[in-house]
Amino acid sequence: MKLGLVIDLDTCVGCHACATACKEWNASSKVNGALSDYEPFGAEPSGVWFNRVRHYEVGDYPENKTINFPVCCMHCADADCVTVCPTGASYKRDDGIVLVDQDKCMGCNLCAWACPYGARELDQVPGTMKKCTLCVDRIYDEMLAPEDRQPACVLACPTHARMFGDFDDPQSEVSRVTAERGGFGLLPELGYAPVSRYLPPRQPQPVIDADDARALLERGLASLASPVIRR
Amino acid sequence: MKPAVSIIFSTVSSGAGLGLLALVALCDTFVLVAAGLASSVLHLANPKNAWRSFSRFKSSWLSREAVFAAALFPVSGLYIVLVIQSKGGASRILLAVLTCALAWAVLICTAMIYASLKPIRQWHTRWTPVNYVLLGHWSGALLLWAIACAYAARSGPFLFVAGVFGLAALAAKLAYWHAIEDSTQALTLERAIGVREGARGPGPISAAHARLLDVGHSHGTFLTSEFGFRLARRHARGLRGVALALGFGLPLAWLVVGVPRWQPALAAAVCCIMGLLVERWLFFAEAKHTVRLYHGDPRT
Ligand code: SF4
Ligand code: SF4
Repeated sequence: MKLGLVIDLDTCVGCHACATACKEWNASSKVNGALSDYEPFGAEPSGVWFNRVRHYEVGDYPENKTINFPVCCMHCADADCVTVCPTGASYKRDDGIVLVDQDKCMGCNLCAWACPYGARELDQVPGTMKKCTLCVDRIYDEMLAPEDRQPACVLACPTHARMFGDFDDPQSEVSRVTAERGGFGLLPELGYAPVSRYLPPRQPQPVIDADDARALLERGLASLASPVIRR
Repeated sequence: MKPAVSIIFSTVSSGAGLGLLALVALCDTFVLVAAGLASSVLHLANPKNAWRSFSRFKSSWLSREAVFAAALFPVSGLYIVLVIQSKGGASRILLAVLTCALAWAVLICTAMIYASLKPIRQWHTRWTPVNYVLLGHWSGALLLWAIACAYAARSGPFLFVAGVFGLAALAAKLAYWHAIEDSTQALTLERAIGVREGARGPGPISAAHARLLDVGHSHGTFLTSEFGFRLARRHARGLRGVALALGFGLPLAWLVVGVPRWQPALAAAVCCIMGLLVERWLFFAEAKHTVRLYHGDPRT
């Protein structure tokens, strides 16, 4: 199994619902322990998050576009964050999920240095490393209705920009949509073989300027008028 | 990368100590190595689990460093005792060989911790281990020369060894700086978010340029404090000058003068270690992690 996420950059509206749903679920999860906040009501609030949404502009005006860009752990097939860990706290499961054993971590930060995507954050309170668990405590929970056995971020997304599934199964929704839409992994050149895929925004329609618009209109009117005149 | 004082001190000090140990054993600075390694434990956020770091020798350079360092202490301690008591014979030679091999192993493992990190272009180069090994031997050789001036009948050979390591280390440092200036290896913000110039249809986003509009957090995060350190080019150049002058220029000049008195020799060694502290600070400050691309840096 190769569990991971698909993130649709075409439909993501950058609302941060996935990030807050993640924080809410994982703050009370037993897998990582609480996600600490530092000065949550102070002047400079900060804290541990597994999923962060950033916003970019690509292209130059008028062919420009805003891209909202959520990033969390890609559950890489070739995860150096696991290799570098000296304590064995970081490990990869058979289903592909990369986890940190909180009881073993010594807080050396080396795995965070080894992750190209910034998917790992040290929690200053226990002094241990924390990261996305792909909601391992939801997706196998038989007490939940089958449609709820998905990561909290996927369930929260109002535009269905996030999908969860097994990339080893060619019939899964994530495999099919990745093939159809040309889903890509981030920074493949570094060789981590990230599992999660991003779907590119659909191509924008070319922009029409005023002169083009008038020409189009005249042509349209002429073609409408011509049968009338001919008759 | 944020230059953490504890790591800078630990790598320079254990480097000098290890270089010295390796050289002494071939032909101690137990305190330097011990101080260096104790300092690296200080860097841990959860030191009570430090003992577990011996457990991944097969995959992790940090684990290998911990194992070799732990083995080095008893071996080199015993060796020093034999040297001081002028006893030994065969066992002393055996311990010398072991001490030397372990000191080299620790130095190389330390270097490989950094050199193996692919997201940091300025560290992921073969010049990183070459630098760590040669700089450690250079500062260690100076300390050894100072000791030789005080105790040995002839200090000339020690001066020669120090000079050779000094020139080699200087060459390695210059080569390292030259290598990291090569920005053809740099990754860009566009590549980090999958923008490919001229791409059309399914696949990566097409468009030539990308820029950050909003970073998504209102105040600093673990990622900004760990990877967000910025150093102006102008300051970097100035500090490289300081590192060159203190770390290489002055001590090498003193080797050329070559008066075999231990006080100035020790001063040269201390001056070199000061320079190397600046050099090590720069090694961190000039390193740009790929996370910075996601935070809006145009290139690494
Ligand atoms: S995204 Fe980072 S933390 Fe997640 S598996 Fe890959 S390297 Fe490890
Ligand atoms: S911070 Fe913890 S999980 Fe990460 S490398 Fe160090 S010991 Fe392993």
